[in-house]
Amino acid sequence: MGESAAIAGLGMTELGKVYGRSARRLAADAVRRAVADAGLGLADLDGLVVSHGMSGSPGVELAAALGLRDLRVLTQMNAFGATAGAMVAYAAMSVISGAATTVACVFADAPLRPKQSSGAAYERSAREWYGYGGMTAALGFRSVNALYALAARRHMLRYGTTSEQFGAIAVSTRRWATMNPLAQMRDPITLEDHQSSRWVAEPLHLLDCCLVSNGAIAVVITSADRARDLARPPVHIWGWGQGHPGHRRERGSEFGLTTGAAISGPIAMKMAGVTVSDIDLCQLYDCYTYTVLVSLEDYGFCAKGEGGAFVESGALSPGGSLPTNTGGGQLSGYYMWGMTPLSEAVIQARGDGGERQVAKRDVILVSGNGGILDHHSTLILSPHRKEA
Amino acid sequence: MGAMETTKTTETVEIGVLHRDGRTDPFFDGAAEDRLVIRRCEPCGRWYAPDQSGCPDCGADRLSWAPASGEATLVTWTVLHGRPAEDGTAPPPTILGLVELAEGPWLNARLDGVDAGALREGLPLRASFVHPAQGEPYLLFRPA
Repeated sequence: MGESAAIAGLGMTELGKVYGRSARRLAADAVRRAVADAGLGLADLDGLVVSHGMSGSPGVELAAALGLRDLRVLTQMNAFGATAGAMVAYAAMSVISGAATTVACVFADAPLRPKQSSGAAYERSAREWYGYGGMTAALGFRSVNALYALAARRHMLRYGTTSEQFGAIAVSTRRWATMNPLAQMRDPITLEDHQSSRWVAEPLHLLDCCLVSNGAIAVVITSADRARDLARPPVHIWGWGQGHPGHRRERGSEFGLTTGAAISGPIAMKMAGVTVSDIDLCQLYDCYTYTVLVSLEDYGFCAKGEGGAFVESGALSPGGSLPTNTGGGQLSGYYMWGMTPLSEAVIQARGDGGERQVAKRDVILVSGNGGILDHHSTLILSPHRKEA
Repeated sequence: MGAMETTKTTETVEIGVLHRDGRTDPFFDGAAEDRLVIRRCEPCGRWYAPDQSGCPDCGADRLSWAPASGEATLVTWTVLHGRPAEDGTAPPPTILGLVELAEGPWLNARLDGVDAGALREGLPLRASFVHPAQGEPYLLFRPA
């Protein structure tokens, strides 16, 4: 039987308006918690993979901050929102190849400051601008919200997708969040609440946009054989994939219409030996409601252009046919880039979801999205060891 | 290529001060004369936005600068709303779009002189330059 890898530990710091700790300190705390969760000590780690968000830290110096010695794998990775999936894949390959035995993967960010808006944490401003790129930034192209709004509008123009359909995602995601004590936004919302929330960048309302959070999340990856003997139920890594479509900004571009999930999804599912009909639940990167809709199409849960009708059917909600973002995602839960969907997948796979636990959880799809739909990663996870 | 519509009287957008960067100066040379100058690959004839550095199609590592017609159509757009202040007032919204130049490339475009309700895919637009008292001129797209 071939070696395979599993997630043996999950560590999460306090998430949200968490002040007074640097991103590096948060990362160190998350690694310690993940190692303890697995029933291991820091000295058991021989690999560390680090990623950071807007704070620009930590990097590989985190190993020294944790006092780790004689590591066999140490690197920093960045494919923006696709990084978590890429880190887990790299850690799994390290374990399977024998390059390392026990690898922690961590993401940390602390963009929020007291008395500063969430939007300000992700927008640069200046009085002096340089060159053509500086000109477009000065004219407004410095807002991630605006760039996703351009993509969402294109989908609406081409396929007739509506704001109410985006709203269905906001409402179903919040329904899940009401059952997650870790979620930052737990008050129920209605479609009217979504429609009447202020515009951020039309066609995106405030309730189409994710939160911004401070905090850190780490996982520990080791061999499936070893994970079986550790403290928590293993979460087996069945498959992984990446997709970077490189849409050009020119006549005929698919920008806003298709994403890298159309590439990463089939790769990961083939590796896992499953098809889209085998997926029991999804944890999808939901920086915006629209991102969920277009990703669902690209994974093949519905036909291209039918994402709006699919999400309006209630499929994503508690009791629906495809429970999605069961912890409240990034829209209502917490925004830890690709660690948001990954952490909830681990919680669900272990059966730790409490009130929101999904009964059938044999095959879980985890999706990361980075840039402006430029980078995708997919993981297929399961509480069961994959049959050879 | 004719001279395009010129707005030299008022600074319609508060943008701070724009400087050259040494990499995209020919764009600003053209802008000073109300001409849209973008990148073109001489070997294969494809056109690119001013911040493109090489031709991904034929692999040429150098692109030349050439005047474009300034004609464009609207691909997609957003009305960007500023964050409301504590007293509830908000800065006026700005309209941003992706526009497709007649030559093929898409540009990140600030739209001006349009009613948000009248925007539609394919709306004809034309490049237009504003010449502020201080700093380099900047590009807007207005209804053709």
